[in-house]
Amino acid sequence: MAEALALIDANNFYASCEQALDPALLGRPVVVLSNNDGCVVSRSSEARQLGIAMGKPYFQIAEQLARHGVVVRSSNYALYGDMSQRLMASLEPWVAELEVYSIDEAFARLPRPPHGDLNGWARELRSRIRRNLGLPIAIGIAPSKVQAKIANRIAKADSRHAGLFDLGGPIDPDPWLEATPVEEIWGIGRRLGRWCRLRGIANARQLRDMASSELRSKAGVVGLRLQLELRGISCLPLEEAPAAKRETCVSRSFSRPISELEELRQAVASYVVRAAEKLRRQHQRAGRLTVFARTSPFAPQVHGASAGVTLPLASNDTAVLLQAALALVPALHRPQRRFVKAGVLLQELQPEEQLQHHLLVPLPPEQQRRREALMASIDALNRRYGRGTVQWAACGLQPTWAMRRGQLSRAATTQLQDLPTVWAH
Amino acid sequence: MSLLWIGALRGQRRPLRLPLAASSVAAGFPSPADDYIDAGIDLNEALIRHPSSTFFLRVSGDSMTGAGIQHGDLLVVDRSLEARPGQIVVAVLDGGFTLKRLVRHRGRLRLEAANSAYPPLELHRCGDVQIWGVAIHVIHSFGRHG
Repeated sequence: MAEALALIDANNFYASCEQALDPALLGRPVVVLSNNDGCVVSRSSEARQLGIAMGKPYFQIAEQLARHGVVVRSSNYALYGDMSQRLMASLEPWVAELEVYSIDEAFARLPRPPHGDLNGWARELRSRIRRNLGLPIAIGIAPSKVQAKIANRIAKADSRHAGLFDLGGPIDPDPWLEATPVEEIWGIGRRLGRWCRLRGIANARQLRDMASSELRSKAGVVGLRLQLELRGISCLPLEEAPAAKRETCVSRSFSRPISELEELRQAVASYVVRAAEKLRRQHQRAGRLTVFARTSPFAPQVHGASAGVTLPLASNDTAVLLQAALALVPALHRPQRRFVKAGVLLQELQPEEQLQHHLLVPLPPEQQRRREALMASIDALNRRYGRGTVQWAACGLQPTWAMRRGQLSRAATTQLQDLPTVWAH
Repeated sequence: MSLLWIGALRGQRRPLRLPLAASSVAAGFPSPADDYIDAGIDLNEALIRHPSSTFFLRVSGDSMTGAGIQHGDLLVVDRSLEARPGQIVVAVLDGGFTLKRLVRHRGRLRLEAANSAYPPLELHRCGDVQIWGVAIHVIHSFGRHG
C-alpha cells in the first residue's frame, strides 16, 4: 500500500495557546513576545490581519498595539510545553508513526487508502484538534517530507484550503511546485538558494527537474536527496522516538546587562537549580557540567567564556551541582564586561538507576537516601505551591536581572493555583 | 530572614521503582502477599479517559450548588466529549467560562443554573455561546487537608 507523509503543525502556536485557555482572548488580536519581552514571536490571525509584523521590537510598536487593542503576552513556556505534549499525544492515534519535530510541528507517516484521498482524514483530524485542544492546525500531505513541507505551506497560504493540502492525491503537483520559490524549500539555505537563482532555477518544479549531476556537483548527496524528495521519492526517514537526552541546557538572557561577579553567580545558580530539577524529572544524573556567559553580540567587543568540570561522581543533587558550578563562575567573569546571557550545560547524562555503588560515593547510603528525599520534597513543594516556593539562597533573594516577562499569563494547565476560573453565577 | 526545618513530603507522584519480586532472595519464605501487589490507585488514571483533552478549572460562585458543585471546587472538564442534554457544561460567554447544565426545553436547547435564583439562558437567543467542554467530575475538598 502506498504511504503518505504529513507535516502537521499548529498555526501561531504560542498565540493560539494563549487563546485556548483564556476565553477573553477568543477572536481578539493577540501577540506573544520573546524572552525579556523583546519582540513579537507569535501573532494570532486577528493580529496578523491588523498588519502587525513578526519580529518587530516591542518598544517600537507598543503604541500601535495599544491603539488596536492588541493583547500582549510574555512567552509562557509552561503553558506552551504542556499544550505541545497534549497536541502530540492527540495526533499519535491518528497516524502510523509520528516524529515530533519541534514544539509545534510533527511529521507523520500513514498509509494512503486505495482510493487515494486523505482529505477526509485531514479534515476530521483538524476539527478534532480544534475542538479538543482549541488549537488550529495545518496539515500538508505528500509522498515525501520535503513535499509535505511545501504542502503544509500551501495549506496555510490560502484560507480556501481550510488548513489542509494534499500534494500526493489525484492532482497534478507541478503548478503547485512551480508556485513555490526555491528559497522556500526545506533544506535550501541562503547560499544554495542564490546558486539556484544564478542558474535560472527559481522554483521547486525547476529544481526537481534540473540535471542531477549539476546539483550533485554543488550540493552533494544532500542535494540529490532533496531532489529525490521533490520527485516524490521519500528518502528522509522519520526519526524514531529520540533516545534519552544526552545533555540538557538551561540558559536565559538577562533583563539588563550585569557585570558584578555576585550577580553572575546568582544567575548561574538559578539556572543550575532549574537544570537539576529537569534532571530529576527525567530520572537522570549528569557526569559533566559547563557554565557559560557572554556579552551582547551587538557590542563592539563580544566576550564569551565557558568553563567545565567533570564531576567525581554523576549527580542530580542541586547542592552538588551548585558547588561545582559556582566554583567555575570566577573563571567566566571579567571586570567591566557587561554580560547579557549566561547558562549551564549538563552533559554525560545517565539514568538514575545506573549508579549506586562506587568507591568514591561521598555519602554513606543512608545519608544519600536522605539527600534524595530532600530533593524530592523540594521538587514536590515547588510543583505544588508554585516555582520558587523553596529557593536556594545562592540564587539571590530578589534578583533584579531576572528575565523580564511583564505580561505573563498563568500556568493554566500545569499549576493548581493558576487554573482558569469557571463562573457559576 | 528565618529558616524553617521541613521534613520530607510524602505521597508525591514520583514513579517509585519498587522491587516487585521481593522474595527472589533465596533466604526465607516467599511472602504470601507477593502475588497480590497492586500498583496503587492513580486518580488521574481512574477518572480521566482522555488526558490530552482534559483540563482543570476552578469554580467561582454558587449557581450550581443544586448540582453539588460548590464555590472553590475543582472541576474536571473533557473537551473531546460531545455535549448532550442533561450534562453539565462549560460555555464561553462574554469572554469568560460559565458553568451551566445543558437542557432541552420544549424542543430547544438552553443553559440552566442549578439554583433557582439564576434565570436560564436560551441558546437560540444568544448567538455566540460556545460549548467549551463537558464537566466529568467535580472535586470538593472538606477544608484544607493538603
